[in-house]
Formats: sequence, structure tokens, C-alpha cells
Amino acid sequence: MNHAASFRDPSGFLFTREGVLYRQVNQSYAEDYRLLIESGLYAALVKAGLMVRHEEVTQPPADPTQAMCVLQPERLPFISYPYEWCFGQLKDAALATLTIQKKALEKGLSLKDASAYNIQFRNARPLLIDTLSFERYVEGQPWTAYRQFCQHFLAPLALMAYTDVRLGQLLRLYIDGVPLDLASRLLPWHTRFNFGLMTHLHLHASAQRRYADRQVQRQSVARRVSKTALLGLVESLENTVRQLQWKAGGTEWGDYYDATNYSQAAFEDKRQTIATWIEAIAPQTCWDLGGNTGVFSRLASERNAFTVSFDIDPTAVEQNYRRCRKDKTPRLLPLVMDLTNPSPAQGWDHAERESLAERGPADLVMALALVHHLAIANNVPLPRLAQSFARLGKTLIVEFVPKSDSQVQRLLASRVDIFPDYTPEGFEAAFAPLFELRQRHAVHDSQRLLYWFERRT
Amino acid sequence: MVFHPLAGAQLYLDPGSGSLIIQVLLAVILGAGVAIKVYWRKLKALFGKKDADAALSAEDETESDSEQQ
Repeated sequence: MNHAASFRDPSGFLFTREGVLYRQVNQSYAEDYRLLIESGLYAALVKAGLMVRHEEVTQPPADPTQAMCVLQPERLPFISYPYEWCFGQLKDAALATLTIQKKALEKGLSLKDASAYNIQFRNARPLLIDTLSFERYVEGQPWTAYRQFCQHFLAPLALMAYTDVRLGQLLRLYIDGVPLDLASRLLPWHTRFNFGLMTHLHLHASAQRRYADRQVQRQSVARRVSKTALLGLVESLENTVRQLQWKAGGTEWGDYYDATNYSQAAFEDKRQTIATWIEAIAPQTCWDLGGNTGVFSRLASERNAFTVSFDIDPTAVEQNYRRCRKDKTPRLLPLVMDLTNPSPAQGWDHAERESLAERGPADLVMALALVHHLAIANNVPLPRLAQSFARLGKTLIVEFVPKSDSQVQRLLASRVDIFPDYTPEGFEAAFAPLFELRQRHAVHDSQRLLYWFERRT
Repeated sequence: MVFHPLAGAQLYLDPGSGSLIIQVLLAVILGAGVAIKVYWRKLKALFGKKDADAALSAEDETESDSEQQ
């Protein structure tokens, strides 16, 4: 079966057969593919941890009329999208793309696309997953992917840094990156004094407007960009991206901490209980919904589960990602996700980018200190919450925070309490049709309850 | 037949007319910048070898950092 997102580039495509992912390389790309391997670029990028590893296999191609060979790439446990990344992730992905382009130019190749969707995260490091992104570099030619780089990376990063971090969500709306004229209009005027943003973004947008309906003559641009100039362009982009910073609320990252309303004893008991349950469940994959800075996500990733830590708060996700980078945390992927409106299936034919649910189910879903946010702040009836969790995971560790808790009181302070069923009994009754209760634990020194549920088959 | 400004066999992205023009213009400025930087380094290397060595070893550190992954 051909992969729904792998159709734009005629160089080849991804397909799955009996659950295994393969990549067909087409004849038309044979020369560039050989150059990628023979130049040593592939080996250098794999060694540097910048590119996905693959093996050439003897598997029959999906389309034999065009095939040159079939590759079996290393399969990643989860595919994330740029609109789910925090600022730091998008910035690291941008810098990785430019590093790859520089290494490619050294070996006589160039990136023919610079799509943010070609980057994934493995152990908190960006990784190029599209093996067919390179072409032979011809001295003098401009960089085809320049526009794409600016739209996919520079524009959203500048908007996040200078206008509002939430504008990273524009990537969800514009599948080929943020239009530069839009970014130019949304950015504060003073960004025109930044050389990189003035040229690569504002002037770039003006040039696009001016030449929108004109055909550029071959003679006017071909062989006009020397290799030195191209390197200058890439380095200028690199400097511009590197200078972009985002500080949450103007604070230093060290000042940010997890605000909780329960005691150290309660925290320890909660942590210990969850750790014991995870060990008994032994999941391969875990989704921690509302994972905040990933304190409990790490209980799963440290126990060998590939863990995605979702949170709606870009500050918490940024904090989590920075810690992952610093500690070189394996198997943990922090992502920004609004669970009241999770990533939909989108792109061409509703299939190019998968919805969150399509990327599951996870072996284990954790929802700690989350239910009250969904049930009370977002009015989701408890049976529908159970339905959603049953779709996302096979096993569930969920925390119930009762109305008497100060966190819930805060949510109810400004509204009428229309939630008569929001009680432990109501919660258990809502989950019973879909889940079998394995364990229930009252967290010491608190009114909170932890549940271990197994989805009924 | 319309000539395509680029000749890549596998070209499937539209580089965009305006994006090409701005790139060519920037290339002149940024290329000159790189050339000046290279000559400056050479000049520095000629008069004070240490600086150039320090710059090189800093680059090596970045390389080995990324290779650890």
C-alpha cells in the first residue's frame, strides 16, 4: 500500500507491505541516489545522527515499471508534525536542515526540498527521514528549496519569537508553510532592522508579490549563484535562525517550575504507584496526555516505553524538550497538543497528515490531573471521555481529582456546577462499559484517586 | 515552450520567481561577505596563527558533539 503523504516527489515513494515500511527509488532518481551513497554523504549524515539509516533490500518494488531499487528505512515509533513542535524543536529542525545542506554542498549535492515534514525527532535530536531529498549540485544554480525553507521554518519561527508563540499553529493551517506576505504583515515593524529577517522574509515577500505573475528567464538567474554565495546564503539563514529566541513570559527557563497543589508525600506516593503499574504493564508505547514538563512521562520512557508527552502549554513542552536535549533523554518526545481539538487528518484527500488517533493506539495512555480539565473546563461528559481514551490506548492509567480539590474548585469558581456525575462513583460508572478496572489507589495525603484500566475487547 | 530557470532533472518544487530573484540579489551581498571572511581568516592566519587554529578546533568540537548522537 502506498503511503498517503508520499506522492509529490517523482524520485520515489514510501509503501508498506505486511506491516513493513519500504521506500521505492525510481529509475529517474538513480543517478542522484548513487551520488548520495558514493559521495559518502549518506554515511556522514547517518554517522552524525542527522539522517535516517536504511538498507537496500531485495523486496519486489511496488511499481516495477519505474523502480531502481527498494530501501527499508529504520522505522520511527511515532511521526510528529511541525505544528505539534515547540519553538525549540522547530528551531533545531531548521538548523539541522541547514547543517545537512552545508554537508551536502561539501560533497557535491544539494537539498532539493527543505520541508519541515522531512524532519523527525529521535532521542531529542532532529533527523532527516527523506532519503530522496538530495540532487546533484550544479555550480551556479540557486537553491530550489530556499522559498520552502523560509515558509516552513523561518517565517513560523520569527512569528513565534517576535509576535506570539501560538502562531506556530499557522503551520496547521498552511500545509506548505506560512505564506511570507502573511508573516511579513504579522511581524512587528522593528524586525525590518534585523538583516536576516529584512532580507529573507520582508524583502523576500515583496519580491514574491512583485514577480508573482512573471516568468523569470532562464538566462537571468542560471549560473548566477556561485557556490561561495550559496554557502553565504545558507550561513545567513543559519545566523538568522540562531538569533531567534523565545522566552516564556520574559522569564529565564530555570525559573519555570511545575506548580502543584499537593504535598511531597502525595507526589511520592503517586509517582511510586504509577512506576509500579508501568512495570507490570510493560508497554512498548506510551502517550502521556497532559504531561506538563514530563515528570511522569519519564517514568514510562525510563522503563523502555517509547513515550510521547503531550501538553497544551508551549512553555511546559519547551521546558520538557530542553531537559530532554540536556540529559540526552532517550525514547521521549514532548509535543504541543490541545486535547480538546487534537491534530486532525489533513492535507490532500484528508490523508497526507494523520490525525492523532490514527497514529495510535498506544499500549498505555496516561491521563494524570487531566480529567477535570476535560470534563469541567471543556464540558466533556465522562462517558465520552472514556470513549476517547478507549480509542487512543489499550491500557489506561488515569487520575481522578475530586471536586473538593483546590484545582477543581478553581475551575468551578467562575461558573455554575452542572456536573452532578463528577464523583468517583460517576467516573467509575462511565468507564465500566469500555474498561475493566484492574487497580484503584487512593493517593496518600490527598483526595485524589488513581485507576488502572484495561480496555475491554 | 517555456524555459525553466533551473535544470535539475528531479525538480518538483516550484522555486517561485520572486524567491529566485531575491536569492540572486542576496547571493551577491552574502557571497561577498563569505569571500571577505575567508580572506580575513587567511590574513589572520598569516599574522597570528593561533586565532585560526582556535577557530578550527571550535569547529571540530561542534562536529564531534553532533557525532556523539
